[in-house]
Amino acid sequence: MAGKEATVYIVDLGRSMSEKRHGRRQTNLEWSMEYVWDKITSTVSTGRKTTLVGVVGFRTNDTNVGEFVDDSEGYENISILTPLKQFLLPDIRALQNDLKPSKTDNGDVTSALVIAIQMISEATSNKSGKPLKYDRRIIMVTDGFGPIHDDDLDGIASKIKDDEIELTLLGVDFDDEEYGFKEEDKAPEKAENERILKQLVDDCGGNFGTLAEAVEQTALPRVKEVRPTPNYKGTLTLGNPADYDATLTIDVERYPCTMIAKPPTASRFVVRTDLAGALVETQSTATVVGDDHDEGGQLAAVRNQRVYKVENPDEPGAMMNVEPEDLEKGYEYGRTAVHISESDSNVVKLETEQGLEIIGFVHAEKTERYLPMSRTNYIIAQKTNSEAKLALSSLIHALYETECHAIARLVAKEGKPPCILLLTPFIELDTEALIDVELPFAEDMRRYKFPSLDKKLTVSGKVITEHRDIPNEGLMKAMSDYVDAMDLSTFGKDEDGNSMEYMQLEETYSPLLHRINHIIRWRATHDTYTSLPEPPAVLMEYSVPPADLIDEVSKQLITLKQTADVKRVPPKQKGRGKRNRDHDKPLSGLDVDALLGKTKRVKIDPQNLVPSFKQALSATDELEGIQAAADEMGAQIRSLITTSFGESNYGRATEAIRVMREELIELEEPEIFNTIIKDLKKQILGEDLGGERREMWLKIRDNRIGLIDNKRSMMSDVQLEEAEEFYRAS
Amino acid sequence: MAENSDTKRPGDEEDDDEEEIDDANYKTAKDAILFAVDISESMLQRPPPSDDKKADRDSPATAALKCAYQLMQQRIISHPNDMMGILLFGTEKADLKEGSTIGDQGFPHCYLLEDLDVPSAQDVKQLRDLVEDEEQAAEILTPAKEPVGLSTVLFCANQIFTTKAPNFSSRRLFLVTDNDNPAQSKIDKDTTITRARDLYDLGVIIELFPISRPGHGFDRSKFFDDLIYPTSPSDPDALALTSSTTKISGSGDGISLLQSLLSSINSKATPRRALFSIPFEIAPGLQIGVKGFLLIKRQEHVKSCYVWVGGEKPQIVQGSTSHLADDTARVVEKTELRKAYKFGGEAVTFSEEEFKQIRQCFGDPIIRIIGFKPMSSLPIWANTNKATFIYPSEADYIGSTRVFSALQQKLISSKKMGVAWFIPRRNAAPTIAAIIPGEEKYGDDGEQVMPPGLWLVPLPFADDLRQCPEQTILKSTDELTDIMSKVIHQLQLPKGVYDPSRYPNPDLQWFYRILQAMALEEELPDHPEDKTIPKYRQIDKRAGQYIEEFGAAFKEEMTILRSSNRGDIIRGPLKKRGADSEDAPAVHGKLAKRVKTEGKSQGDGDDLAEMNRKGTLSKTTVAVLKDWLSERGQSTSGKKADLIERVQEYLDSKGM
Repeated sequence: MAGKEATVYIVDLGRSMSEKRHGRRQTNLEWSMEYVWDKITSTVSTGRKTTLVGVVGFRTNDTNVGEFVDDSEGYENISILTPLKQFLLPDIRALQNDLKPSKTDNGDVTSALVIAIQMISEATSNKSGKPLKYDRRIIMVTDGFGPIHDDDLDGIASKIKDDEIELTLLGVDFDDEEYGFKEEDKAPEKAENERILKQLVDDCGGNFGTLAEAVEQTALPRVKEVRPTPNYKGTLTLGNPADYDATLTIDVERYPCTMIAKPPTASRFVVRTDLAGALVETQSTATVVGDDHDEGGQLAAVRNQRVYKVENPDEPGAMMNVEPEDLEKGYEYGRTAVHISESDSNVVKLETEQGLEIIGFVHAEKTERYLPMSRTNYIIAQKTNSEAKLALSSLIHALYETECHAIARLVAKEGKPPCILLLTPFIELDTEALIDVELPFAEDMRRYKFPSLDKKLTVSGKVITEHRDIPNEGLMKAMSDYVDAMDLSTFGKDEDGNSMEYMQLEETYSPLLHRINHIIRWRATHDTYTSLPEPPAVLMEYSVPPADLIDEVSKQLITLKQTADVKRVPPKQKGRGKRNRDHDKPLSGLDVDALLGKTKRVKIDPQNLVPSFKQALSATDELEGIQAAADEMGAQIRSLITTSFGESNYGRATEAIRVMREELIELEEPEIFNTIIKDLKKQILGEDLGGERREMWLKIRDNRIGLIDNKRSMMSDVQLEEAEEFYRAS
Repeated sequence: MAENSDTKRPGDEEDDDEEEIDDANYKTAKDAILFAVDISESMLQRPPPSDDKKADRDSPATAALKCAYQLMQQRIISHPNDMMGILLFGTEKADLKEGSTIGDQGFPHCYLLEDLDVPSAQDVKQLRDLVEDEEQAAEILTPAKEPVGLSTVLFCANQIFTTKAPNFSSRRLFLVTDNDNPAQSKIDKDTTITRARDLYDLGVIIELFPISRPGHGFDRSKFFDDLIYPTSPSDPDALALTSSTTKISGSGDGISLLQSLLSSINSKATPRRALFSIPFEIAPGLQIGVKGFLLIKRQEHVKSCYVWVGGEKPQIVQGSTSHLADDTARVVEKTELRKAYKFGGEAVTFSEEEFKQIRQCFGDPIIRIIGFKPMSSLPIWANTNKATFIYPSEADYIGSTRVFSALQQKLISSKKMGVAWFIPRRNAAPTIAAIIPGEEKYGDDGEQVMPPGLWLVPLPFADDLRQCPEQTILKSTDELTDIMSKVIHQLQLPKGVYDPSRYPNPDLQWFYRILQAMALEEELPDHPEDKTIPKYRQIDKRAGQYIEEFGAAFKEEMTILRSSNRGDIIRGPLKKRGADSEDAPAVHGKLAKRVKTEGKSQGDGDDLAEMNRKGTLSKTTVAVLKDWLSERGQSTSGKKADLIERVQEYLDSKGM
């Protein structure tokens, strides 16, 4: 939880801010606002009520300083654009309209400062005028033109210091030695102003910098700091203190070490219908804003309502709604419903007591690195407990020296299910902790088997080491050389040019998180646009290998590609696809098709529908053969539906349609299928197949086995829209 | 309009996270297994009695049924929506259950013990009775007098799958037999091959679990290689693995028939489903194909559901969600829904197309290696989630396997890892993953226990790293560290490794034991079996002596520290502490053997005193301050500033 904040931005809106300098494509104001908007929108996105933002413009056409000074003399051409408040989207929009370069050079920067100080003081004091606990900030951007009244700078500086306000001044093209920028041919007037302002900032212990640096930093994603909160406070024990004497008990606390930062989630809204009429009337005025941006206020939240149904006991096959009062909690055991009354609800819960208990120790190097399955935590000694600190430190150091890890059982809270943790020592300059991570239980391991990668077994059990799937020496060498050449552990450079590890964890930023944050903030300040911006480059930096390194290893890369000799499997050949393919064969390689009798036409057997359909298709090369098989399949599907008792045959019919659809796509005869399915839809909805069969139609719709569109099969002349329309019953 | 949904969870929330949804789909791809067990004289023959405890007592047929029983119980836990059935063939009796729509032609000598369905509590009970009650079993398990052709069995399975599980994505026939040449004649053989082909065309996979008789090996090439197809026609190399032949062991040569068959069946228990199939770019311009698998995933128990109790029999309800506009309570069509982000008190909307663009601007799904680092650059603290296993596939790139193999072997031998940009699916968030090699490992019986391949370990971004809370350290002494090291040496787990298979999830096991007992209306068990509870007696026996030694040294060290003038050590209420540490262990008679640092109440305030000196007292949380004050009988009311003031006053008064 962050503390309360009050920040006033002072923005220079003088005539000179409309200029474009040093070959930039943006005006000075646009450039400055890039920084200011970034700051303001990131404040807005926190949604905190206790973070106040205000904006003051100086060198404005008008004067508006409200009630902060009795006499506006000396405060001409200064405007309070937004008073200190929680900034919201409408404030952003209003501010955008106000932020236009003026036609004047007049307006004194120091007077603007005084106004800002007044605003802060007013907003952050209680009724009796006593200052409250706030972080106070003034951030000022200016291009350094325009007159400055430097008569009371000392007074202002000491006021800023007394009020504990942090002043930051960012100047357009101001000289900054640290950053390494010096403007050539600087106007003497500006040089003098820079000097005055620098003096002022130094006097009140603020920050003085050039705008370029600040804008550059906005490109770097901001990492949100989270205050550590413990998720376990209790004991770490070895042995059972209740029954044995020789045991060890240490008071510990557990804090997150890694925690995936989630991007903001979108919520569902619906356009409000009660406003639809009003919308039409106000449209002419709304066009200024442009598009659906303005809909913000016209969206209503969406609520979910759940309805519960059961099969009607009196009418098998039909469903009926049931009231929530008649529902109780239960579980499924296989297909048996086990109902557990509210009072018994704890019966399935394992009784556990809070605790972190060491089960035993393992060798660090024998712990497979792929086993840990969760995020990690720090376990540290209780904060105000010296004995716990010394005891935990002994354990940490002993683990470190013996190169062992501990295995422990954690019950985070009474009644919670236990989990198994791996505890590893973590020793850094000012930190000693155990790092814990969850390990799998027996049930969490899926025992799939895969063939060996370095040898092949023949059917007879002989071991082969030369095979096209096994790398030869050449490939092994090429791979080894490439891997060694692409080493990143020394490829990076630190500030002094020394080599260091490239792409450290601290340098990588979550692409999606920052992309969504970025685009929301961008959208909030862009009413009209033609296309969304690309993600900031910093988010894509580690999506490809570093180009410099790839250049260096080109030789190894070429050798690797040659020896690897990987060939892309060509996309399915055009034309009569499957009809010419090699038919699938059993392990023995026996030609089963020959056995089936390839020449004679295979009859569709209703008892063996799918296989006989497939075999009929593979037995024929003629269009008539395919047509005949499909027609007969269609007839069988209709018969399945017609004779279905309730929904009993729907599953089979659905599967048959699906198989037919897939086979005909493969054979590139979508028309045959489309004709059949169109007729089928008509017959189902027309109740021609043994009465009301609407559920069958829903099955076709839900499984999306309707018309084959031309995206699915090039040979189809059905458009995607038509295929979609087909699913709408009518 | 209400949309159908399978979820039955009360108060189900809409989930916007694409990734999670994908995960769920992966799990709900349904699987149906039909066990077909050969009931012949030789399958029913028990091994000769033996004194050896490890020797087999089961006939191959009983062993197969026991396996089926175990598998059924397991699958209720791990795959609650999947179907299972048991078909006995070669029996004297024939029975395909009433009401069956399976043809009129009849299937002689096929006895459907359990119809193919999601198992019910009754099915479990029936199977258990059969396995445990020999008399009842003998009634059914009587072999036919005439030999039985396999073709009938295959067609029977065909019909069962067609009617009971018509649109399951995975359907498998588990065939347990010891007869490697069941065909009576050429015609019979051809019919069987045709029937096997039918199953293949139907999408049913035959998994053969062969059993070899003493003195007679099981030769697949005689017959079964004509029936069984490579499981993945598009990727013939991916699975050339067949189950090993289970041998009927002689007396006491280790592993029993039952265990061996179980392990063989267990390895096939879950159909291997790929999580994704994407290109793996090892170097610019060098792509191969890989498939991803989840080999490690937390197994949860079923979510509770609502049961309707208004009728005679409790029924599980089906829930469906409809959307209402919050302002007018009007029912809203799904197409009317707009997604928007809340920002500055309003909603910032994007079109559907823009949403796609925002998520997909990072490119297509891929694993792209950025470079390599030593394995040591992957500390355990950098873990964020479970690892994903990848294995090569030749489906899209020929030569994938050898290149993958070369990379895996190189990474193993050089102890290196790859660092990769990883997008598993369209719409999924990109992550950076470490690619670490997994070595093939075998168990004691030569069976593979860990497959060879590569693992993708997702790495944290800067955004995901949390700072360790500030602390003052009290560093261990060499003496204490050494004694503790002895304790560690004494308490090594077997072979010094953590073996997950030794630790079943106690919560999950308990849940299903209770649920099963309730479903079968049996008495509830009263003691959970929890293998995760440390073995206290062993700890005491093996390390007690050293823990005592540690306790003594620890006490000494604390005394020295306390009397020293080190600023970071307690100069707190010595007296109170002395009394405490003597009282508590006294209950157990022996002093000095327990390093007991009781709860918060004994916190010394040493840190607070220290922090006060440093002027960092304001960094302490209100909770700590309150605890501290209440321990000293001080008031805990007021704001933080008041609390701090009170702490300072107290410390002043005590001269700290």
